[in-house]
Amino acid sequence: MKEAIERLQEAMADKGYVTDRATATSAYLAITLRKPLLIEGPPGVGKTEVAKVLSRVLETELIRLQCYEGLDVATSLYEWNYPKQLLHIKLGETSGQSIAHREAEIFSEAFLLERPLLRAIRATRQVVLLIDEVDRSDEEFEAFLLEVLSEHQVTIPEIGTVRAAVEPCVVLTSNRTRDLSEALRRRCLYLWIDYPTLEKELAIVRTKVPGIEAHLAEQLAGFIQGVRRQRLVKTPGVAETLDWAHALVALQAQSVDGAVVTETLGCFLKDQSDVRQVQSEIETRGVSALVATGRSRG
Amino acid sequence: MSALAFVTSFSRALRARGLNATPATTIEAARALGAVDIGDRADVYFALRSLFVARYQELALFDEVFDEWWGDEGHAAREAVGREPKKKRTANPAVIAPWEEPRAGTTSTYLTRWAASLAEVTDDATVPIAAPSTRDATGVKDFRHYDDADLRGLEDAAARIVERLRARRSRRWRIARRGPRLDARRIVRLALATGGDPIRLARRERKLRRTKLVVVCDVSGSMDLYSRFLLQVLYALQHAFARVETFAFSTRLVRITDALAGGTYRDALDSLAHVERGGWSGGTKIGECLESLRMGWPRLLDRRTAVIVLSDGWDTGDPDILASALREMRRRAGRIIWLNPLLGNPAYQPLTRGMQAALPHIDVFAPAHDLASLERLAVHLSF
Repeated sequence: MKEAIERLQEAMADKGYVTDRATATSAYLAITLRKPLLIEGPPGVGKTEVAKVLSRVLETELIRLQCYEGLDVATSLYEWNYPKQLLHIKLGETSGQSIAHREAEIFSEAFLLERPLLRAIRATRQVVLLIDEVDRSDEEFEAFLLEVLSEHQVTIPEIGTVRAAVEPCVVLTSNRTRDLSEALRRRCLYLWIDYPTLEKELAIVRTKVPGIEAHLAEQLAGFIQGVRRQRLVKTPGVAETLDWAHALVALQAQSVDGAVVTETLGCFLKDQSDVRQVQSEIETRGVSALVATGRSRG
Repeated sequence: MSALAFVTSFSRALRARGLNATPATTIEAARALGAVDIGDRADVYFALRSLFVARYQELALFDEVFDEWWGDEGHAAREAVGREPKKKRTANPAVIAPWEEPRAGTTSTYLTRWAASLAEVTDDATVPIAAPSTRDATGVKDFRHYDDADLRGLEDAAARIVERLRARRSRRWRIARRGPRLDARRIVRLALATGGDPIRLARRERKLRRTKLVVVCDVSGSMDLYSRFLLQVLYALQHAFARVETFAFSTRLVRITDALAGGTYRDALDSLAHVERGGWSGGTKIGECLESLRMGWPRLLDRRTAVIVLSDGWDTGDPDILASALREMRRRAGRIIWLNPLLGNPAYQPLTRGMQAALPHIDVFAPAHDLASLERLAVHLSF
């Protein structure tokens, strides 16, 4: 394995993100090839975390753009500071300058409100730009984003073109609620993050919840893996595993048994029908059976 | 072999199997190999995968080709990180939300919306579907008994449906003199002339949303009574509205947009006769056909697209394929509307395996046996 990739993987682990080689290699290539990284996967597997930990590893700022339907240029790129503009016009009323001159004045840098994309492009050192849940934005925005990502520049009609001095390291995440355009996909490196394996999940629990006892952590990770094999409305992600682990530690639970699980189901099951299903599973088969399925492969 | 030559032939192999490996990607893959340890297969595997794969569905295919090229060691690399190779997608069916579960009552909930429209139905629930009378219980002329004179009505219905598709507002804005919202940027500009007092107001409104329509029409034997008239509907739609893509299917899928687009209805029928060589009727594989629509025209479906399936749900294919194809389509498309001519009969229950598999994945389940039912369809195109 390339040393640099290994070092990155270790550095990510140092910053509290347990990852595998696939993720480390993709992140490494994103930095080296200066290509945006598109991460897809089920909710709660730590897609967003990749960007956060990368910014910590690179010791740089993380700029986040949360996407939603109807996201437009005014909220993602820039907006004018209207109250300040109006105030400025009032103050300059008696200056006798031409309207054209005053217009140029109020539509200048000083009145510009930076939004995440512009901030990332104007940054003087490399930043990590996280474009979160890009699948929730609409097609027009995706097309606009593609332009920004390929040219590393944006045009503000009143000011002109702003070019990135340092290309930001871009991470996009998607929950696949809709298919992204082929053009955007081609522009990016692709990474699929699945639910973690038992070993990886265990490592994550140990890293994130240092106070947990080894035996408890193993049972908990096994149980969650078993639960994921059920057909649920909302399959628990890693975030839920960690919530649960914290709860068990706080409750000073010694082991994962029926009573403890029933009390704390809400930590990792977020749907009433899932709660009912897992509860009946515990009653009929028992907690240990679920842990055993979780531990078995295949 | 140099890295570039090597990657070039590898990407050719990928292309041959249907992955979209462009020359640009190939060049970048060569660069990527320069950045990792070529001696390490796991490095090579992950580097090439992140470049050549662009979506989850392509992972298995990439793995296959990679294994062929790098032998079992490529396999070993993946095992080292615990990823199961070539996981079958069907092995872990996606979760069906409880409210989507085809429970006993659910079909009737789909139907209740339409109950109002069928209110005049007589109590005689045993009206056979192929009733000899030209008028059905609702007193509306059924498509089965349509003649050429009724075509006008069809065209009007199509026009009304199209009207619905036009009048949609998007979340984006445009300048409008009497728009409902203020446009701050332009108000500031106008205020320049009035000393900073925003006296003249500028307004904006939502842009119109451009909805598209994808119509998939069942032309198998069981639909024979209806398909001719449904094709007339498709023809009318195609001519009233530019953003319609039309497909016909029985055991396979045929795109008939162009055939319908040309000339008169008779011309369209003529060119349809040329399009179709396998025969219109004889078995129905709805699932496979929808799947090939999704695979063959992947850019067709987006959230502005309404997919209309015209079928009676008599499926000789695998209902699991139908369910998974619809599930995938629903995720991409704005709305899935299933029009079933049999629903016009009050005695009909959608109990066929195909219909049962489809119901959890469709947004609207509605009849399409007469003009009134088609006109009511327009309501469902606002989403």
